[in-house]
Amino acid sequence: MENLQQLFIEAGTLMLAGMVFVFTFLGLLIIFINVVLVKLAKKFPDAIVESRSSSKKNNKKQDDKAVSPAVVAAISCAVTQYRQQHSAQK
Amino acid sequence: MDSLKLLWMSTGLANFELGQVIMMLVGCGLLYLAIARNFEPLLLVPMGFGAILTNIPAAGFSEVGGLLHYIYYAGIDTGIFPLLIFMGVGAMTDFGALIANPKTLLLGAAAQFGIFATLFGAIALNFVGLDFSMKDASAIAIIGGADGPTAIFLASKLAPDLLGAIAVAAYSYMALVPIIQPPIMRALTTEDERKIEMAQLRHVTKVEKIIFPLGVLMMTIFFLPAATPLVGMFCLGNLMRECGVVDRLSSTAQNELINIVTIFLGLGVGSKLSADQFLNAKTLGILALGAVAFSIGTAAGLLMAKLMNKFAKEKVNPLIGAAGVSAVPMAARVANKVGLEANPHNFLLMHAMGPNVAGVLGSAVAAGILLALVG
Repeated sequence: MENLQQLFIEAGTLMLAGMVFVFTFLGLLIIFINVVLVKLAKKFPDAIVESRSSSKKNNKKQDDKAVSPAVVAAISCAVTQYRQQHSAQK
Repeated sequence: MDSLKLLWMSTGLANFELGQVIMMLVGCGLLYLAIARNFEPLLLVPMGFGAILTNIPAAGFSEVGGLLHYIYYAGIDTGIFPLLIFMGVGAMTDFGALIANPKTLLLGAAAQFGIFATLFGAIALNFVGLDFSMKDASAIAIIGGADGPTAIFLASKLAPDLLGAIAVAAYSYMALVPIIQPPIMRALTTEDERKIEMAQLRHVTKVEKIIFPLGVLMMTIFFLPAATPLVGMFCLGNLMRECGVVDRLSSTAQNELINIVTIFLGLGVGSKLSADQFLNAKTLGILALGAVAFSIGTAAGLLMAKLMNKFAKEKVNPLIGAAGVSAVPMAARVANKVGLEANPHNFLLMHAMGPNVAGVLGSAVAAGILLALVG
């Protein structure tokens, strides 16, 4: 019985020490993220963000080129033709 | 006549013991859960089959000279397999959500209470006649970390005899997360709390993602070297993923390598499912304690989120606290699902990934503490 009591005390200490340590460790990690990483992020912003905006511009140009009025006319012509055929079949 | 008798004596039928038959049925049960119910099939199929193989009479799979014996000693006794798996998990983990909202680390920390509370529970079972030492109790408690490789790693170091039961409990409860968690989540939160919408996460840069695993490793080296096998391999996998120059290695770690190791890990754990080690009251105790550990971990994460809401300006949806019990990504999905029930426009998945991966780190740290103090 005394042995059990000893085990319980040991488990309690372990629980206390463990939880305190887990919180301290992950708490320090929060500080690390807020202090180091956020500063790093400001100093070295992602190149991808810039390239994204530039690729958007490119896309726009491509879009303008790709959907020319002639193509739109051809597609709408094909669609009306298809619809007419489809309704005729019905 | 003698040769006929010899032939009969070499058949399985002549050598079967009741325990072996029961353990083969347990193996079949695991196969059923994996195949018909889709419960963690990647691990339960090799584990269930390993359980059948190891109980074949007169074949000696788990004795010296047998395949499973060598798989166990080469990979699990040495801790290599769970660590390789952890590297693969690291390569699959995106810390973006955690870096964008670092206070979710506290939720991951709180959920580890399930581990340490279960330690108490395991010791308390000594009152009903089960004989758990401090090492046994620590190995059982880690089930609350809801992290298969961590549980297997710690059990192989602290209580190899209980490894089979602990692995079965850990993986079964991880599969049961969608059933165990929602009732606790609903009981501990109000409808209004479940409806809380969270601000969109900020963009996390590549440099942050590269430095993060290195920072985590550095802190582990300084404060808890006992956890460096787990955290180190995890960070290596994550660095390979984020640095962008070793895509082939990253892809191997999270696909081929983790798949190969999973087969061996499953077989090795299955080899520990022998009648003399599994068919006793301790296994029942471990299964019961596993459920308790999961529930307490979930509750602690939820309550921590509610406590944070009392002090912080920016509210946190308490449901994401439940994702603090790692079980990536199942627990995050459950948080998302329960959140959607309360508010169909509230997608919590990305927010829940923060505490979810924090839980992985938390349970690795907890395992390191148990190893350092008990091992």
